[in-house]
Amino acid sequence: MSSTRAAQQAGQQVAAMDTVGHDVPRIDAYERVTGRATYTRDVRLPGMLYARVLRSPHPHARIRSIDVSRAEALPGVRAVVTHETHQLIYSSGSIAGGQQYNDAAKDMTEHVRYMFDNPVRFVGQPVAAVAAVDRYVAEDALQLIEVDYQELPFVLDPEEALEPGAPPIWPEGNLALDRDNQPRPSSRTSGDPAAGFAAADQVFEDRYTTAFVQDGQMEPRSALAQWDGDKVTIYTPTQGISNCRHDNARDLGLDDHQVQIICKYMGGGFGDKNGSYYFDLIAAVLAKEAGVPVLLELTRKDDWLGTHGRWHTVQNLRVGVAQDGTVTAIGLEGYSGMGPYLRRSGGIAGIEAYACPNVERVIYPVHTNRMVSGNFRAPSDPQGYFAIQSMMDDIAYKVDMDPVDFALKNVIRPTDEVRFTNYSLDECIMRGRELFDWESRWRPVPGSDPGPIKRGAGMAFMAFRSGVGPSSAIVRVDADERYTLFVGVTDIGPGAKTTMAIIAAEELGVPLSQVDVVWGDTDLCPYSVGESGSRTTTMTGYAVVQAAIDLKRQIAERGMPRGVDVLIASATPNPSTEGQRRMVFGAHFVEVEADVQLGHVRITKYVAVHESGRILNPRPAKDQIRGAALQGLGQALHEDLLYDARSGHPLTAGYYGARHLTYLDAPEIEVTFIETDDGYGPYGAKTVGEAGIILGPAAVANAIFNTIGHRMKELPITRARILEALA
Amino acid sequence: MGKKRTDLKDGVSRRAFPIPRSEDTLYEDEGGDRDLTRRGFLGGAGAALVVAGAPKLGSSEHSSAGAVEQEAPAVPQTAIRITVNGTEHQVNVEDRWTLNEFLRDHIGLTGSKIGCNRGECGACTVLVDGEPMFSCSTLAVWADGRDIQTVEGLESDGTVSPLQQAFMDYNAPQCGFCTSGQLMTATALLVDNPRPTSDEVRSAMVGNLCRCSNYNAIVEAVLAAAGTPGSGGAP
Repeated sequence: MSSTRAAQQAGQQVAAMDTVGHDVPRIDAYERVTGRATYTRDVRLPGMLYARVLRSPHPHARIRSIDVSRAEALPGVRAVVTHETHQLIYSSGSIAGGQQYNDAAKDMTEHVRYMFDNPVRFVGQPVAAVAAVDRYVAEDALQLIEVDYQELPFVLDPEEALEPGAPPIWPEGNLALDRDNQPRPSSRTSGDPAAGFAAADQVFEDRYTTAFVQDGQMEPRSALAQWDGDKVTIYTPTQGISNCRHDNARDLGLDDHQVQIICKYMGGGFGDKNGSYYFDLIAAVLAKEAGVPVLLELTRKDDWLGTHGRWHTVQNLRVGVAQDGTVTAIGLEGYSGMGPYLRRSGGIAGIEAYACPNVERVIYPVHTNRMVSGNFRAPSDPQGYFAIQSMMDDIAYKVDMDPVDFALKNVIRPTDEVRFTNYSLDECIMRGRELFDWESRWRPVPGSDPGPIKRGAGMAFMAFRSGVGPSSAIVRVDADERYTLFVGVTDIGPGAKTTMAIIAAEELGVPLSQVDVVWGDTDLCPYSVGESGSRTTTMTGYAVVQAAIDLKRQIAERGMPRGVDVLIASATPNPSTEGQRRMVFGAHFVEVEADVQLGHVRITKYVAVHESGRILNPRPAKDQIRGAALQGLGQALHEDLLYDARSGHPLTAGYYGARHLTYLDAPEIEVTFIETDDGYGPYGAKTVGEAGIILGPAAVANAIFNTIGHRMKELPITRARILEALA
Repeated sequence: MGKKRTDLKDGVSRRAFPIPRSEDTLYEDEGGDRDLTRRGFLGGAGAALVVAGAPKLGSSEHSSAGAVEQEAPAVPQTAIRITVNGTEHQVNVEDRWTLNEFLRDHIGLTGSKIGCNRGECGACTVLVDGEPMFSCSTLAVWADGRDIQTVEGLESDGTVSPLQQAFMDYNAPQCGFCTSGQLMTATALLVDNPRPTSDEVRSAMVGNLCRCSNYNAIVEAVLAAAGTPGSGGAP
């Protein structure tokens, strides 16, 4: 790559290829439309038992005693486990925020999370589990477990949790420990914020809040465990079989090779499943105790409260602006509600999309007695982008600028210090403005339509990492010229299995129909980085390219195999971008219609422009953006998990309560990809899956401001909040 | 439990259960004793299994092997005649079984899914006499005399239906977990209304959630199968 800014701006033009870039139906489409795709609960093993988990009804309580004798005496019950019988440490669920693949960080943490904990720290935390001959007996047995709880004071709000006298959830207090076991916020300063604010002609301050959003994948979590001697096989819906195996092995006290993880199909990822979950451990322990396979099924409510969702935030922002609209300094003081365990980072993203060099960020990941927060598709981003881009949009109006012009003035751009593998953010914004017809849809005076039905427009833009890194692939060819690709992917929805086959077919120069894929089983597949962080295409896909190149070399040297012989190639590349930022870019433009009498908001146009490098399979790529954008709309307008302040009980667990989008709420999302090849990843392909969700809340909130003339500073933007703003 | 399940599968492979005599039950272990209690039955079966393999129960002093049999009310059963994907089954079902449990757990049709088990998501949708129903919220006994169609019954002579083909061509499944339910609702729609507008598709399918939020693509697939124009998004 040339290091000139011009080359960074352009990337390389994409040239047509044989298989890559053409619409290809998924190689498993038939299984998916005929009911043949086997999800975890569809697996049946001889003699298997059914398991259920007893969960805490209290937000914070110490278990004085637990009596399982009546449950154990219930005919049909085969095993009962509690914190007294099994004190297993559960994975990174303790305090390994952002360090989930770092064994050293896990080993040193002082906030250990156990499979069953005492005290319990949120409603829905596992207390005991039962395996029985059927679900009915298992559920009956839960009713017979007698737990004597000593209820403890609890706290639900992250800011209240940091006040003096707040009920301590951990002995050290409620500010989460960092990886050095210190209760410190995550702080990052760049440039000279004080000088930047001093140079500003105006300084604006505001406060934004975002709500908890459950990942809410359609398949409720389950785990089916079967022991064979000292080896355990666990069927579980995971996004990363390799990491899931390593986590479970560590927690069960086994070596990796003693654990086999199988995940053929899984009903939606959306984040934080690239590893183990406690129900894997519970199923394994119950199966060991009972001596037969055990299927642990989470109910929808178990899943809703007992897993994780996007952390809710409070964000106090401060922005300095010069007379000409140049942002001179940005300050963020953020509070992320993490629940009682720091499962993930609690980060708040978005400021990095601006060129402003003077930034001060202090983020407090805070423990509360709400359910655990974790990664959901672009974990730190939609909530952060909502706040900073609402703030910037607001400032644009206050300095009398068109928000698009203000954006173009302040977006991050390549400089001698900030180098990209390629850059297209300004192009995404300008293309979006044109496709959306911004001039005709945007109201220069917000709220100026006569009503009661008003319209207006808003936009938001983003830059999101698209890393490169290590992953593995194996490819084999036999005398019949069947190419078999072994990759440790699980295909959580985006179509990774098909993408890997497309890459192999392209590199090998053979039709897709000659490629078979072996996936989803740690006993059969090499290491894979896992389908999180939108990394499968870029990392495992690049490994497929390298393995295929090696296989071609072998074929050239030795000829095609004959008889029963095969040729096999493997690769574990670990590429680097040599200090350049590899990012995807995008801009979303939204027109809304608001009924100012009812508070109802309807999306009337949604344009999404993305640059994700070369697009390998256009239709699924487009659907990744469309689906993600709609999830972003859900976060913008609907989704929340409300708690009763007096009891600490969650009130809106489940699809109806969270008001997930239905067909009737789903507008057409118009997707445009700007394609380019930056020379990295497989054929210049970059991240797609997470990028589409980032901008919905910000763009919708900005469009609502333009429509009604009131700035909505809290997510979700419900009817009640709109009517309150208009009152 | 495993043995029972194997027997059931054999039953399915015979395409129809024999007409139940009074002593015939789905669980052969019960030996036709209609007065046998559920608890008693489970306790008996359990003791056998515990002897066979189950070791200790954690640190507890109790184990089910030594448990005193408890009296519990019998699980009522009802003989039903039900046609599933063209195959008639005459079986005794427990009254508490949902239609979904019957399909997934007892005759091995795992295509319909449980997403919520409380009528919120539609992943369990099957057709009952041609009408889309949430099988999680329908008791098996209510299906007596009914004709059930599941996703496994959409193919004919090894060929997928035009709707299934459109779902494949238009990438309608992302994770695929809701797909069976979506297909069943859309199948019923196209019977009632072979050329729906996109509004009519959305309205008919509002009870089927897709958390991948692939709604645009699913509507496009249904419209393509119907041969009607329209966009995938709500106006």
